[in-house]
Amino acid sequence: PAVCAGNYPLYIRSVPTENELKFHYTVHTSLDVVDEKISAMGKALVDQRELYLGLLYPTEDYKVYGYVTNSKVKFVMVVDSSNTALRDNEIRSMFRKLHNSYTDIMCNPFYNPGDRIHSRAFDTMVNSMMMQVC
Amino acid sequence: MQRIGGASAALQTAANTSHAKDRGAERRKEKRKRIERRLWCLRKKRYKLTIKYIRSYTSSMSRSPGRKQENHKISRELFVLTYGALVAQLCKEYEKDEDVNACLDRMGYSIGIRLIDDFLARSAVKKCRSYSETADMIAQVAFKMYLGVTPSVSCNSVTGNEFSLILDKNPLVDFVEELPAERASLCYCNLLCGVIRGALEMVHLAAEVSFLQDRLKGDAVTEIGITFLRKPEDRRHRRNK
Repeated sequence: PAVCAGNYPLYIRSVPTENELKFHYTVHTSLDVVDEKISAMGKALVDQRELYLGLLYPTEDYKVYGYVTNSKVKFVMVVDSSNTALRDNEIRSMFRKLHNSYTDIMCNPFYNPGDRIHSRAFDTMVNSMMMQVC
Repeated sequence: MQRIGGASAALQTAANTSHAKDRGAERRKEKRKRIERRLWCLRKKRYKLTIKYIRSYTSSMSRSPGRKQENHKISRELFVLTYGALVAQLCKEYEKDEDVNACLDRMGYSIGIRLIDDFLARSAVKKCRSYSETADMIAQVAFKMYLGVTPSVSCNSVTGNEFSLILDKNPLVDFVEELPAERASLCYCNLLCGVIRGALEMVHLAAEVSFLQDRLKGDAVTEIGITFLRKPEDRRHRRNK
Protein backbone atom coordinates (compact mmCIF):
# COMPACT_ATOMS: atom_id res chain seq x y z
CA PRO A 1 0.00 0.00 0.00
CA ALA A 2 1.03 3.56 -0.56
CA VAL A 3 -0.24 6.92 0.58
CA CYS A 4 0.20 9.73 -1.90
CA ALA A 5 -0.60 13.38 -1.72
CA GLY A 6 0.07 15.77 -4.54
CA ASN A 7 1.63 13.05 -6.68
CA TYR A 8 4.54 12.20 -4.47
CA PRO A 9 4.36 9.34 -2.02
CA LEU A 10 4.13 9.99 1.69
CA TYR A 11 4.40 6.35 2.57
CA ILE A 12 5.19 3.16 0.71
CA ARG A 13 5.42 -0.32 2.11
CA SER A 14 5.51 -3.70 0.41
CA VAL A 15 5.69 -7.18 1.82
CA PRO A 16 7.75 -9.17 -0.63
CA THR A 17 10.82 -7.03 -0.73
CA GLU A 18 11.98 -8.11 -4.14
CA ASN A 19 10.68 -6.15 -7.13
CA GLU A 20 10.09 -3.18 -4.89
CA LEU A 21 11.03 -0.79 -7.63
CA LYS A 22 8.42 -2.34 -9.88
CA PHE A 23 5.78 -1.75 -7.25
CA HIS A 24 6.84 1.87 -6.90
CA TYR A 25 6.57 2.28 -10.64
CA THR A 26 3.14 0.66 -10.69
CA VAL A 27 1.94 2.99 -7.98
CA HIS A 28 3.11 6.02 -9.91
CA THR A 29 1.42 4.94 -13.10
CA SER A 30 -1.78 4.14 -11.28
CA LEU A 31 -1.87 7.72 -10.02
CA ASP A 32 -2.68 8.82 -13.55
CA VAL A 33 -5.65 6.48 -13.70
CA VAL A 34 -6.79 7.76 -10.30
CA ASP A 35 -6.67 11.35 -11.48
CA GLU A 36 -8.61 10.42 -14.56
CA LYS A 37 -11.29 8.78 -12.46
CA ILE A 38 -11.54 11.79 -10.15
CA SER A 39 -12.10 14.20 -12.99
CA ALA A 40 -14.62 11.85 -14.57
CA MET A 41 -16.66 11.61 -11.35
CA GLY A 42 -17.15 15.35 -11.23
CA LYS A 43 -20.11 16.40 -9.19
CA ALA A 44 -21.40 12.98 -8.24
CA LEU A 45 -19.22 12.59 -5.19
CA VAL A 46 -20.02 9.87 -2.73
CA ASP A 47 -18.87 10.07 0.82
CA GLN A 48 -16.36 7.24 0.76
CA ARG A 49 -15.08 7.20 -2.73
CA GLU A 50 -13.44 4.03 -3.78
CA LEU A 51 -11.90 3.46 -7.15
CA TYR A 52 -11.50 -0.06 -8.27
CA LEU A 53 -8.89 -0.06 -11.00
CA GLY A 54 -8.84 -3.64 -12.04
CA LEU A 55 -6.00 -5.41 -13.74
CA LEU A 56 -3.35 -3.03 -14.93
CA TYR A 57 -0.90 -5.45 -16.50
CA PRO A 58 -2.58 -8.60 -17.68
CA THR A 59 0.78 -10.36 -17.86
CA GLU A 60 1.86 -9.50 -14.37
CA ASP A 61 -1.44 -10.56 -12.94
CA TYR A 62 -1.96 -8.33 -10.00
CA LYS A 63 -4.70 -5.92 -9.08
CA VAL A 64 -4.36 -2.31 -8.09
CA TYR A 65 -6.98 -0.68 -5.90
CA GLY A 66 -7.30 3.00 -5.27
CA TYR A 67 -9.06 5.13 -2.67
CA VAL A 68 -9.26 8.89 -2.49
CA THR A 69 -10.26 11.03 0.46
CA ASN A 70 -12.06 14.34 0.22
CA SER A 71 -8.77 16.08 0.87
CA LYS A 72 -7.28 14.54 -2.28
CA VAL A 73 -5.06 12.09 -0.48
CA LYS A 74 -4.77 8.90 -2.47
CA PHE A 75 -4.28 5.42 -1.12
CA VAL A 76 -3.06 2.80 -3.57
CA MET A 77 -2.90 -0.90 -2.87
CA VAL A 78 -1.26 -3.52 -5.08
CA VAL A 79 -2.41 -7.08 -4.51
CA ASP A 80 -1.36 -10.36 -6.03
CA SER A 81 -4.10 -11.78 -8.19
CA SER A 82 -3.31 -15.30 -7.09
CA ASN A 83 -4.77 -14.32 -3.77
CA THR A 84 -8.38 -14.71 -4.88
CA ALA A 85 -9.71 -14.89 -1.34
CA LEU A 86 -9.67 -11.11 -1.10
CA ARG A 87 -13.17 -9.77 -1.56
CA ASP A 88 -14.30 -6.26 -2.25
CA ASN A 89 -15.55 -5.83 1.32
CA GLU A 90 -12.18 -6.71 2.73
CA ILE A 91 -10.48 -4.23 0.48
CA ARG A 92 -12.94 -1.58 1.58
CA SER A 93 -12.36 -2.32 5.23
CA MET A 94 -8.61 -2.18 4.73
CA PHE A 95 -8.91 1.20 3.09
CA ARG A 96 -11.12 2.39 5.92
CA LYS A 97 -8.53 1.32 8.47
CA LEU A 98 -5.86 3.10 6.49
CA HIS A 99 -7.98 6.20 6.38
CA ASN A 100 -8.59 6.13 10.15
CA SER A 101 -4.91 5.73 10.89
CA TYR A 102 -4.14 8.53 8.52
CA THR A 103 -6.54 10.88 10.33
CA ASP A 104 -4.88 9.99 13.61
CA ILE A 105 -1.55 10.99 12.14
CA MET A 106 -2.98 14.26 10.88
CA CYS A 107 -4.11 15.08 14.42
CA ASN A 108 -0.56 14.85 15.71
CA PRO A 109 0.46 18.47 16.26
CA PHE A 110 4.03 17.77 15.27
CA TYR A 111 3.12 16.35 11.89
CA ASN A 112 3.11 18.83 9.01
CA PRO A 113 0.87 17.88 6.09
CA GLY A 114 3.08 16.90 3.18
CA ASP A 115 5.78 15.33 5.31
CA ARG A 116 6.68 11.71 4.97
CA ILE A 117 4.91 9.53 7.48
CA HIS A 118 7.17 8.10 10.17
CA SER A 119 4.60 7.10 12.74
CA ARG A 120 5.18 3.82 14.49
CA ALA A 121 1.49 3.14 15.03
CA PHE A 122 0.84 3.54 11.34
CA ASP A 123 3.66 1.12 10.54
CA THR A 124 2.36 -1.54 12.90
CA MET A 125 -1.15 -1.17 11.54
CA VAL A 126 0.00 -1.51 7.94
CA ASN A 127 2.23 -4.47 8.77
CA SER A 128 -0.52 -6.30 10.58
CA MET A 129 -2.88 -5.67 7.71
CA MET A 130 -0.44 -6.99 5.15
CA MET A 131 0.38 -10.03 7.24
CA GLN A 132 -3.30 -10.75 7.38
CA VAL A 133 -3.56 -10.74 3.61
CA CYS A 134 -0.42 -12.57 2.58
CA MET B 1 -48.74 49.44 57.43
CA GLN B 2 -50.57 50.89 54.53
CA ARG B 3 -52.79 47.83 54.33
CA ILE B 4 -53.74 48.02 57.97
CA GLY B 5 -54.28 51.73 57.63
CA GLY B 6 -56.32 51.12 54.51
CA ALA B 7 -58.41 48.41 56.21
CA SER B 8 -59.18 50.59 59.19
CA ALA B 9 -59.89 53.50 56.92
CA ALA B 10 -62.28 51.30 54.91
CA LEU B 11 -64.02 50.18 58.09
CA GLN B 12 -64.29 53.73 59.23
CA THR B 13 -65.70 54.92 55.95
CA ALA B 14 -68.13 51.99 55.84
CA ALA B 15 -69.20 52.60 59.43
CA ASN B 16 -69.53 56.34 59.14
CA THR B 17 -71.64 57.03 56.11
CA SER B 18 -73.24 55.47 53.04
CA HIS B 19 -72.88 58.62 51.03
CA ALA B 20 -72.23 58.02 47.31
CA LYS B 21 -69.02 60.01 47.42
CA ASP B 22 -67.70 57.96 50.31
CA ARG B 23 -68.76 54.78 48.60
CA GLY B 24 -66.84 55.88 45.53
CA ALA B 25 -63.80 56.67 47.69
CA GLU B 26 -64.21 53.32 49.39
CA ARG B 27 -64.32 51.53 46.06
CA ARG B 28 -61.21 53.36 44.93
CA LYS B 29 -59.42 52.38 48.13
CA GLU B 30 -60.47 48.77 47.70
CA LYS B 31 -59.25 48.83 44.14
CA ARG B 32 -55.90 50.27 45.23
CA LYS B 33 -55.61 47.58 47.89
CA ARG B 34 -56.35 44.86 45.35
CA ILE B 35 -53.77 46.24 42.98
CA GLU B 36 -51.19 46.48 45.76
CA ARG B 37 -51.90 42.94 46.85
CA ARG B 38 -51.49 41.68 43.33
CA LEU B 39 -48.23 43.55 42.93
CA TRP B 40 -47.01 42.13 46.21
CA CYS B 41 -47.88 38.60 45.08
CA LEU B 42 -46.07 39.14 41.79
CA ARG B 43 -43.00 40.46 43.56
CA LYS B 44 -43.00 37.46 45.83
CA LYS B 45 -43.32 35.16 42.84
CA ARG B 46 -40.48 36.87 41.05
CA TYR B 47 -38.35 36.62 44.15
CA LYS B 48 -39.10 32.92 44.44
CA LEU B 49 -38.31 32.34 40.79
CA THR B 50 -35.00 34.15 41.15
CA ILE B 51 -34.06 32.01 44.12
CA LYS B 52 -35.09 28.89 42.25
CA TYR B 53 -33.02 29.93 39.25
CA ILE B 54 -29.95 30.65 41.35
CA ARG B 55 -30.29 27.36 43.17
CA SER B 56 -30.70 25.35 39.99
CA TYR B 57 -27.80 27.17 38.37
CA THR B 58 -25.42 26.60 41.26
CA SER B 59 -26.50 23.03 41.80
CA SER B 60 -25.94 22.15 38.17
CA MET B 61 -22.58 23.85 38.30
CA SER B 62 -21.51 22.10 41.45
CA ARG B 63 -22.33 18.74 39.97
CA SER B 64 -19.18 17.24 38.53
CA PRO B 65 -19.48 17.81 34.78
CA GLY B 66 -16.90 15.21 33.97
CA ARG B 67 -19.62 12.58 34.08
CA LYS B 68 -21.03 12.92 30.60
CA GLN B 69 -20.63 15.05 27.52
CA GLU B 70 -23.36 17.70 27.44
CA ASN B 71 -24.45 19.57 24.38
CA HIS B 72 -23.27 23.00 25.38
CA LYS B 73 -19.71 21.94 26.03
CA ILE B 74 -17.12 22.23 23.32
CA SER B 75 -15.68 19.05 21.95
CA ARG B 76 -12.72 17.34 23.47
CA GLU B 77 -10.98 16.93 20.12
CA LEU B 78 -11.05 20.66 19.61
CA PHE B 79 -9.41 21.24 22.96
CA VAL B 80 -6.75 18.58 22.42
CA LEU B 81 -5.97 19.88 18.94
CA THR B 82 -5.80 23.45 20.24
CA TYR B 83 -3.34 22.44 22.90
CA GLY B 84 -1.29 20.54 20.35
CA ALA B 85 -1.23 23.51 18.01
CA LEU B 86 -0.11 25.68 20.91
CA VAL B 87 2.81 23.41 21.74
CA ALA B 88 3.79 23.00 18.09
CA GLN B 89 3.80 26.76 17.59
CA LEU B 90 5.94 27.28 20.68
CA CYS B 91 8.35 24.68 19.36
CA LYS B 92 8.63 26.61 16.13
CA GLU B 93 9.29 29.87 17.97
CA TYR B 94 11.81 28.68 20.55
CA GLU B 95 14.82 26.59 19.73
CA LYS B 96 15.54 25.19 23.15
CA ASP B 97 13.23 22.80 24.99
CA GLU B 98 13.76 24.59 28.30
CA ASP B 99 12.38 27.79 26.81
CA VAL B 100 9.27 26.02 25.58
CA ASN B 101 8.81 24.35 28.96
CA ALA B 102 9.20 27.66 30.78
CA CYS B 103 6.72 29.34 28.46
CA LEU B 104 4.14 26.58 28.97
CA ASP B 105 4.66 26.83 32.72
CA ARG B 106 4.07 30.59 32.68
CA MET B 107 0.91 30.19 30.64
CA GLY B 108 -0.32 27.48 32.98
CA TYR B 109 0.40 29.73 35.94
CA SER B 110 -1.74 32.52 34.57
CA ILE B 111 -4.52 30.02 33.88
CA GLY B 112 -4.22 28.55 37.37
CA ILE B 113 -4.55 31.80 39.26
CA ARG B 114 -7.85 32.37 37.50
CA LEU B 115 -9.08 28.81 37.44
CA ILE B 116 -8.92 28.42 41.21
CA ASP B 117 -11.88 30.76 41.70
CA ASP B 118 -13.98 28.83 39.24
CA PHE B 119 -13.00 25.58 40.90
CA LEU B 120 -13.80 26.77 44.43
CA ALA B 121 -17.14 28.18 43.30
CA ARG B 122 -18.19 25.04 41.51
CA SER B 123 -16.96 22.44 43.90
CA ALA B 124 -17.78 24.16 47.21
CA VAL B 125 -15.14 22.12 49.00
CA LYS B 126 -14.27 22.67 52.61
CA LYS B 127 -10.95 23.90 53.83
CA CYS B 128 -8.26 21.25 53.53
CA ARG B 129 -6.57 20.49 56.80
CA SER B 130 -3.44 18.90 55.51
CA TYR B 131 -1.30 18.70 52.44
CA SER B 132 -2.43 15.19 51.71
CA GLU B 133 -6.03 16.34 51.70
CA THR B 134 -5.09 19.08 49.29
CA ALA B 135 -3.38 16.63 46.98
CA ASP B 136 -6.40 14.33 47.14
CA MET B 137 -8.66 17.25 46.34
CA ILE B 138 -6.62 18.19 43.30
CA ALA B 139 -6.58 14.65 42.02
CA GLN B 140 -10.10 13.55 42.70
CA VAL B 141 -12.12 16.71 42.28
CA ALA B 142 -10.19 19.15 40.12
CA PHE B 143 -8.77 16.74 37.58
CA LYS B 144 -12.10 14.99 37.31
CA MET B 145 -13.93 18.25 36.83
CA TYR B 146 -11.67 19.71 34.18
CA LEU B 147 -10.04 16.82 32.39
CA GLY B 148 -12.31 13.92 33.17
CA VAL B 149 -9.56 11.70 34.55
CA THR B 150 -8.74 10.84 38.13
CA PRO B 151 -5.06 10.35 38.88
CA SER B 152 -4.01 8.34 41.87
CA VAL B 153 -2.16 10.08 44.67
CA SER B 154 0.87 8.76 46.45
CA CYS B 155 2.93 10.38 49.16
CA ASN B 156 6.60 10.46 48.40
CA SER B 157 8.30 11.82 51.46
CA VAL B 158 8.15 11.16 55.18
CA THR B 159 7.54 14.78 56.06
CA GLY B 160 4.31 14.79 54.08
CA ASN B 161 5.41 17.55 51.76
CA GLU B 162 5.84 15.70 48.52
CA PHE B 163 3.09 14.00 46.62
CA SER B 164 2.77 12.61 43.18
CA LEU B 165 -0.24 12.27 40.95
CA ILE B 166 -0.02 9.27 38.68
CA LEU B 167 -1.99 9.52 35.47
CA ASP B 168 -2.34 6.44 33.37
CA LYS B 169 -4.50 8.21 30.84
CA ASN B 170 -3.73 11.76 29.80
CA PRO B 171 -6.32 13.22 27.44
CA LEU B 172 -4.01 16.00 26.26
CA VAL B 173 -1.67 13.59 24.53
CA ASP B 174 -4.35 11.57 22.76
CA PHE B 175 -3.04 12.27 19.29
CA VAL B 176 0.64 12.65 20.03
CA GLU B 177 2.40 9.33 19.71
CA GLU B 178 5.85 10.39 20.63
CA LEU B 179 7.91 13.51 20.81
CA PRO B 180 9.86 14.45 17.71
CA ALA B 181 13.50 13.45 17.83
CA GLU B 182 14.86 16.96 18.21
CA ARG B 183 12.57 17.71 21.16
CA ALA B 184 13.54 14.95 23.49
CA SER B 185 13.32 16.91 26.72
CA LEU B 186 10.08 18.74 26.00
CA CYS B 187 7.49 18.49 28.75
CA TYR B 188 4.41 18.38 26.59
CA CYS B 189 1.92 18.90 29.41
CA ASN B 190 3.90 21.47 31.32
CA LEU B 191 0.84 23.69 31.19
CA LEU B 192 -0.76 21.41 33.78
CA CYS B 193 2.15 21.96 36.14
CA GLY B 194 1.76 25.71 35.82
CA VAL B 195 -1.98 25.49 36.41
CA ILE B 196 -1.52 23.52 39.63
CA ARG B 197 1.22 25.84 40.82
CA GLY B 198 -0.83 28.97 40.14
CA ALA B 199 -3.96 27.60 41.73
CA LEU B 200 -2.11 26.56 44.89
CA GLU B 201 -0.44 29.92 45.13
CA MET B 202 -3.78 31.73 45.12
CA VAL B 203 -4.79 29.75 48.18
CA HIS B 204 -1.49 30.63 49.82
CA LEU B 205 0.20 27.29 49.44
CA ALA B 206 3.55 27.66 47.77
CA ALA B 207 4.49 24.58 45.81
CA GLU B 208 6.75 23.33 43.11
CA VAL B 209 5.19 21.17 40.48
CA SER B 210 7.02 19.22 37.84
CA PHE B 211 6.85 16.09 35.76
CA LEU B 212 8.64 13.11 37.27
CA GLN B 213 7.72 10.60 34.60
CA ASP B 214 6.27 11.11 31.17
CA ARG B 215 4.68 8.53 28.89
CA LEU B 216 5.79 10.49 25.86
CA LYS B 217 9.40 10.02 26.88
CA GLY B 218 9.06 6.29 27.24
CA ASP B 219 8.09 5.85 30.89
CA ALA B 220 5.23 3.62 31.85
CA VAL B 221 2.97 6.28 33.33
CA THR B 222 2.79 10.02 33.59
CA GLU B 223 3.66 11.29 37.05
CA ILE B 224 3.30 14.84 38.28
CA GLY B 225 5.20 15.68 41.46
CA ILE B 226 3.92 18.36 43.84
CA THR B 227 6.29 19.59 46.55
CA PHE B 228 4.83 21.90 49.13
CA LEU B 229 7.45 24.38 50.19
CA ARG B 230 6.38 25.37 53.66
CA LYS B 231 6.16 23.15 56.73
CA PRO B 232 2.58 22.09 57.59
CA GLU B 233 2.57 24.10 60.82
CA ASP B 234 3.37 27.31 59.02
CA ARG B 235 0.32 27.09 56.77
CA ARG B 236 -1.74 30.24 56.78
CA HIS B 237 -5.50 30.36 56.87
CA ARG B 238 -6.89 29.10 53.58
CA ARG B 239 -9.78 30.81 51.93
CA ASN B 240 -12.97 28.98 52.83
CA LYS B 241 -15.88 28.49 50.46
